[in-house]
Amino acid sequence: MANATETTSVVREIAIDASPDTVWQFLVDPEKATRWMGQRATLDPRPGGVYNVEVIPGHIASGEFVELDPPRRLVQTWGWDAGEDGPRSVPPGSSTIEFELIPDGNGTIVRFTHRDLPDAAAAESHAHGWDHYFERLAIVAGGGDPGVDPWISGPMS
Amino acid sequence: MPRVETALKAIAEPNRRHILRLVWDAELSAGEIASHFDVTQPAVSQHLKVLKEAGLVDERRNGTRRLYRARPEGLAELKAFLDDFWGDRLDALKREAEREERKKHGKRN
Repeated sequence: MANATETTSVVREIAIDASPDTVWQFLVDPEKATRWMGQRATLDPRPGGVYNVEVIPGHIASGEFVELDPPRRLVQTWGWDAGEDGPRSVPPGSSTIEFELIPDGNGTIVRFTHRDLPDAAAAESHAHGWDHYFERLAIVAGGGDPGVDPWISGPMS
Repeated sequence: MPRVETALKAIAEPNRRHILRLVWDAELSAGEIASHFDVTQPAVSQHLKVLKEAGLVDERRNGTRRLYRARPEGLAELKAFLDDFWGDRLDALKREAEREERKKHGKRN
């Protein structure tokens, strides 16, 4: 069903064959963070500490670390710096990402949540054809995350 | 993913998204596109060039006219990227963390 909640969340879970300590380093160490997240990173991993990561050229994600409980839980605000084409639809501080690291044998289950996203995609879910995707494209072009596609569970008329 | 980057930059501009909507169902000339909104024809031509380079529109010559139409494959590539932005990032995290773990334990597989 199409719905019109004000925000959306993305939740994903992945099993990693590495210890929580190893995975944690990839979240807080700039050299390791750039191996999976972007090209340049400055991270100040303490509550209130600021980070910047150039995820794709010209698209810099930034925010603050909110909560650090190594190697179990990391909460940080998430948004995108204004680009040459103007402010992004998900500005810095406007949404929150959280990594939960759950020990699983010798490995780790990472549960990732991105919440408080502007819900333009769901608001447009009644639109037909590619208009639906243009809205999603616009969000990500603005450096945002389009959230869960409301069409995946909704009827397509 | 240089192609996706180019496409993301192309659609970051609102007028270019507007142009894409116009040529989604119809093949139009630059002049016809310009008549739909408040942008000069040279500006429209420049936008079309960017969209064409990003693989989002196709250009076809018909006599002296050049006609433009959206390129569904280009949009499909973008859609695939968008549908799993975080999924792709987390896959990369898994790959790198596991590589690091193997290095720590001196395994080779």
